[in-house]
Amino acid sequence: MSQSWIVLQPIAILFIGSLLIPLIESFGKALKFEKIRDTFAIIIFGLSLYSLLGIYEEVQRQGQITYFLSPYEPPVGVTFTVDQFSVFMAFLFCLLGLFVSIYSVKYMEDDTGLDKYYSLLMALVAGLVGISFAGDLFNLFIFWEAMSLASYALVAFKKYRWEPIEASFKYLVMSTIGSLTALYAMSILYGLTGTLNISELAIIIPTLKTPLPQMPYLVIVAMIAGFGVTASIVPFHFWLPDAHPAAPSGISAMLSGVVIKAGVYAIARILFTIFNPIAFDFGTTLVLFGIITLSVANFMALLQRDIKRLLAFSSIVNIGYIIFGFGIGAYALNVYGIGGYSIATLAIMGAIFHIFNHAIGKGLLFLGAGCFIHEARTRDLLDLEGAGKKMPWTGTSFSLGLLTLAGVPPLSGFWSKLFIILAGYTKPDNTFMVITTSLVVLNAIFAAAYYLWLMQRLMLRTPKPKVEKAHEVPILMVLPVFTLGLITVILGLWPFEIIGFAEVATRSLLGLIGG
Amino acid sequence: MSTPDFMLYAMTAILLYIIGLYGIAVRRNMVRTIVSLEIITASVNLNFLAFTILDKNLLPLAQYFVAISIVLGAAVASLALMIVIQAYRHYGSVDLKKLSKLRW
Repeated sequence: MSQSWIVLQPIAILFIGSLLIPLIESFGKALKFEKIRDTFAIIIFGLSLYSLLGIYEEVQRQGQITYFLSPYEPPVGVTFTVDQFSVFMAFLFCLLGLFVSIYSVKYMEDDTGLDKYYSLLMALVAGLVGISFAGDLFNLFIFWEAMSLASYALVAFKKYRWEPIEASFKYLVMSTIGSLTALYAMSILYGLTGTLNISELAIIIPTLKTPLPQMPYLVIVAMIAGFGVTASIVPFHFWLPDAHPAAPSGISAMLSGVVIKAGVYAIARILFTIFNPIAFDFGTTLVLFGIITLSVANFMALLQRDIKRLLAFSSIVNIGYIIFGFGIGAYALNVYGIGGYSIATLAIMGAIFHIFNHAIGKGLLFLGAGCFIHEARTRDLLDLEGAGKKMPWTGTSFSLGLLTLAGVPPLSGFWSKLFIILAGYTKPDNTFMVITTSLVVLNAIFAAAYYLWLMQRLMLRTPKPKVEKAHEVPILMVLPVFTLGLITVILGLWPFEIIGFAEVATRSLLGLIGG
Repeated sequence: MSTPDFMLYAMTAILLYIIGLYGIAVRRNMVRTIVSLEIITASVNLNFLAFTILDKNLLPLAQYFVAISIVLGAAVASLALMIVIQAYRHYGSVDLKKLSKLRW
């Protein structure tokens, strides 16, 4: 108890940093050293990662930290509950934030208003960490809105062009409808149970007598639809292919790498912790959503000529895998009861591991695409042909990112897909699981084909006139891209540590179901 | 206050939610879209309060939720209006049909 206030550390560091940036900016102007704000941003992200290490050790010791703002004890007051899954996600958010802030030093050099950029970036990551640490639903919603507001503003950051304005408005309208739908579900949940504390709800819901037996399912559907807008599950994905290309590349990496994962996190946390999957059948819905998301996005990705738009559709594809993984886990628990626990662990571990791989891989791809765009000044794939030959470091890292998302062994993306697919095939007599998993395999092969095609275009063709004059980008831009590429290789060859982490995260998510 | 009152409030909340969605789907004016979003916010707030009719113990927390939710709604609306101003500078109009360069 005495140590539990440390869960506030990363959130406080990031929010305070976000507020201090304009002050630091004016200092920098006085000292004629403008880069001080970039340095400050990198230091803040480094500090938040360091404070997460402390939380990680504490969580390992206690299993779960609960912190509440005194004097209101849970279930009434503002509560933070941190377990391994939360730390896993928070670590990912801060890590990508660090890479993006390093990358932005050079990439955003020509833009003005960079103090606002870094301020919003920190508020975005603070909101994300808050979402993963929140112990009650309303607290989660507040951080959700903080995160959303920062990302709407960041999408519209280059407000002198028409595209970001349009994309941001579309994103704002769709995402706000989504979060309000989720809040509506919370209001029903609050009316039925009298609390919004997640661990309290997990105890109340199984024995709850509702006026209509369908009431919990209404809540489940509204939660999936509401948070599914940010998670960009098809058919709620329409904002994503516009918002991600319109944002600056660093922000595209943040949005695609971690913001949509926050939606997945919220769905997983609410459904698995509050609604016991053994008692409530939401696995089938998630599996079907996963399949639809995969198929539609794969098809749409083929039609794109804009490199960032293609990557955006590929993000939706990967959300499909993750949702499918969670769905298979919930389905197995629902059909086989406690006997399906091992299948569920495997599937959900695969999904959590894929969250990590996709965040790293897609972060890399968007940052790499940013390097190409920075040099060639175009997003058209036809004009970017052969760019990898002119920029060998970026090109190589970019290819690594494509290969890991294509699931080529021994890169890390291979392992997570393997776990999800293996989990789907564990019961050969269950037709539903076998058919849906086969569809996933087909989609995976299809996706691998266009990743390789993209790689061939960028790396092997003769350079087009627009990339003729391109040369390698500054070291501060290559460094994050190359490091992310290195991470996928290292984790592909030595995945045991991260698999162990994903496994304890899975166990803490499925904690109450036991096994 | 009793169950019929609760039904009245809950149904009004659902109706407001549908009106808001309808407004966003049909209206082509950006400002009206934002007004529709605010109607949905109001519907959710009303739904929080509707449940307090059935159980008085729910009231304190529900008021806290609604107060914060109003603040968040205002924040979203102000950001949205900022985007509308920028859009007006680009297109000289707040008609969503003019903003159709991106495919929906």
